[in-house]
Amino acid sequence: MTDTRSADAITTAIRHVLPNGMVALIQRNSSSPTVSVRGEIRVGAIHEPAEKSGLAIFAGAALIRGAAERSFQEIVVATESVGASVNAGGGMNAGGFGARALAEDLPLVLDLLADMIIRPTFPEQELERLRGQMLMGLRESEEEPRTQASRAARALLFPPEHPYSRLSGGSAETVERITRDDLVAFHKKYHPAATTVAIVGDVEPQAVVELLNAAFGSWRIAGEPPAFSLPEPYKLQGVQRRDIAMPGKSQSDVIWAVQGLTRSAPDFYAASIANMILGRLGMGGRLGENVREQQGLAYYCGSSLDADLGAGPWAALAGVNPTNVERALEAILHEVGQFIADGPTDDELNDARDFMTGSVVLGLETNDGIAGTLLGVERFDLGLDYIARYPAIIRSVSAEAITTAARRYLSTEHYIVTVAGPGLE
Amino acid sequence: MTEITAQRLSNGMLALIREAHSAPVAACAVWYRVGSRNETIGITGISHWVEHMLFKGTPSIPAGELDRLIARNGGTFNGFTSHDYTAYYETLPADRIELGLQIESDRMVNANFDPEEVDSERTVIISEREGHENDPDFWLNEAVMAAAYQVHPYRNEVIGWRSDLVAMNREDLYQHYQTYYMPNNAILTLVGDFDTGEMLHKAEHYFGGLPTGPQIPAVRAVEPAQQGERRVVIRRPGPVPYVQIAFHGTGCRDSDFAPLVVLDAVLSGAKPLSFGGGSQTNRSARIYRALVETQLASYAGSGFGASFDPTLFEFQATVQDGHTIHEVEDALFAEVTKIQEDGVSEVELTKVLKQVRAQVAYSSESVTSQALSLGMWEVLDSYERMTRLLPELSAVTAADVQRVAQTYLTEQNRTVGHFIPSDKP
Repeated sequence: MTDTRSADAITTAIRHVLPNGMVALIQRNSSSPTVSVRGEIRVGAIHEPAEKSGLAIFAGAALIRGAAERSFQEIVVATESVGASVNAGGGMNAGGFGARALAEDLPLVLDLLADMIIRPTFPEQELERLRGQMLMGLRESEEEPRTQASRAARALLFPPEHPYSRLSGGSAETVERITRDDLVAFHKKYHPAATTVAIVGDVEPQAVVELLNAAFGSWRIAGEPPAFSLPEPYKLQGVQRRDIAMPGKSQSDVIWAVQGLTRSAPDFYAASIANMILGRLGMGGRLGENVREQQGLAYYCGSSLDADLGAGPWAALAGVNPTNVERALEAILHEVGQFIADGPTDDELNDARDFMTGSVVLGLETNDGIAGTLLGVERFDLGLDYIARYPAIIRSVSAEAITTAARRYLSTEHYIVTVAGPGLE
Repeated sequence: MTEITAQRLSNGMLALIREAHSAPVAACAVWYRVGSRNETIGITGISHWVEHMLFKGTPSIPAGELDRLIARNGGTFNGFTSHDYTAYYETLPADRIELGLQIESDRMVNANFDPEEVDSERTVIISEREGHENDPDFWLNEAVMAAAYQVHPYRNEVIGWRSDLVAMNREDLYQHYQTYYMPNNAILTLVGDFDTGEMLHKAEHYFGGLPTGPQIPAVRAVEPAQQGERRVVIRRPGPVPYVQIAFHGTGCRDSDFAPLVVLDAVLSGAKPLSFGGGSQTNRSARIYRALVETQLASYAGSGFGASFDPTLFEFQATVQDGHTIHEVEDALFAEVTKIQEDGVSEVELTKVLKQVRAQVAYSSESVTSQALSLGMWEVLDSYERMTRLLPELSAVTAADVQRVAQTYLTEQNRTVGHFIPSDKP
């Protein structure tokens, strides 16, 4: 049973559409004197050219570096002086923005966010500072085996013209090449009708609507928000594997992956439950049980299903000693094969259903948790009654449907593997 | 905030209970006064390994069944080990919280420590350490700790030295468990949507009858005053140079603790004082302005947290391209010197206090954060410190901050670590 109070946190939220098309979701939660703002603009790396990879991330991070009359330092002084924070950043499918504040400071952070989103100034000197930090960050992450394994996996799953074939942060080469004009042009794609903001905390919803109208009401962009269409991913044939040697590392990161599905796919829930049983439930589902608990091969092993506006990878991941890479891979393949062959057991299905429906309340405990759920509900057009309907949705998925979904996507014949680590002497 | 009920059970074990009715959720945590502080060379990492073994089953809840029980009830759970403590917690829908009490009371005395499971967990933990070793700053931190402390066990990483992880056996682990896991060395914390009287009754039922044991062995080590600067250099493959500087500070029961917390916040923003919270506060503070805004460093900050015995006041920075590790080190020292010579402003003190208040408010959103914070403060000092700390910090004057900067952040008292990238593993 989902407690009605937690479902209420979503069903009783106020959904207000500003005249410019921006959607606001507001919920009062008086349990602490705080407020969380979380928002998204559905413009991302999917809208940037390959040679400017990293542009969406750069643009998102640059919003705080100067907006309307305020400099970066003026923005952070204004917020940090009252223990609040505002932030923005780009992403693969969408950019995000947000704030945390004591409830009394909501007007301040909404004003700042509106300036950042609508009137960023992209000052040259700040852009060079930010570029320097991004390049340093890229250099650090390039030396992480996990980054290398992910980058290689994306290149094996998607053709170069597909934005998912790259990491959204770009590379040193592409980030060097992004100009201020590129950022200004990319920012023009931001559109109120592609923007959602969720505000949850010790606030009066009607007053928040008025604050939003004042802060965002003047934001008008001609035309429609940018559309997106993704190229077809590779149809995997056989096994493709890439090994990346990284001398000086202690542990190898292993990724096994196949093509996944979108959030709106009819078999999304079946695939989610399959993923839960295969690599999430408890300590990493069947994968964790085999690789970590039975064989003691890894500190972590589990799976992830990246189902968003586009179909991302369905992957199994593990971090193992280089001498155990092949054993870990065998174990992953064994578990995938077993699941395709037999599907879930009755016990597993019951456990997964109980966990997925029962744990909903845990995600709705904090303002941030409620705001994040509201954003997801809006992004995928699920309706504010979604949390109330969720238990019935999960319980209606049969073992057969789960097995069918697993067979459609998972495979022990056609998949990719990437391994990044110290390699064997 | 509601009252905290502190009650000794019939065997003397302390239970701390607080009602929170904003969401239908509850958290249960059990804290043990044991961590790497209680370890010597030969058994470093043993507290953390014991923590792992408590997820490996008891006669009544076998390995694997624990995960399933929690999942089936829609909960999450975990454990963690630090220098001063080991803690376990469950977050569950409030009407299922009894399960947390049942699990924790069972594994306080009945954990199996099956020899095969011990061996399998050895490779899991070595793998966890190897994951850390993939990060250059793990090596730097390990070396700085081992240099800053010559005598006190804070010199050892919680994960332990590899040679000890290879050598320890089942008997070592079981003896450690039997020495430290008993009601007189444990604290139960419960926060959530329940009735205190009913929880007290359940706490007594599950824990009140557990047998107490002898007093735990005292930690005798006292770190002698440092007699001059120490320097360590790590040369390994890595992306960029890092610098870490550590000064001997105080434990949280010392009267200089609060001024040092304020000093840290003036330098790089107020951090959450225990669990939860987390609003970015560093970008208007001194170190960010002096090192990151000037592009000497892509990251720079300070840190000082609560501990039982005297701990370190630390600085860390990532050297930006075009600059040397020495320039960055000098810039950090320059910020220290400024405070030693000119003190801090009232404006900074006011800002820091508001930040601390906000961090406390953010952390109160979550029952899990509250259950963890209560337990942490009880281990380190007293649970009442959670409420006393704000007034303590408010009472800190500019003169106090300047004095502790002059007293603790001296050349005599510091250890400087450099990570220098090298081609050779």
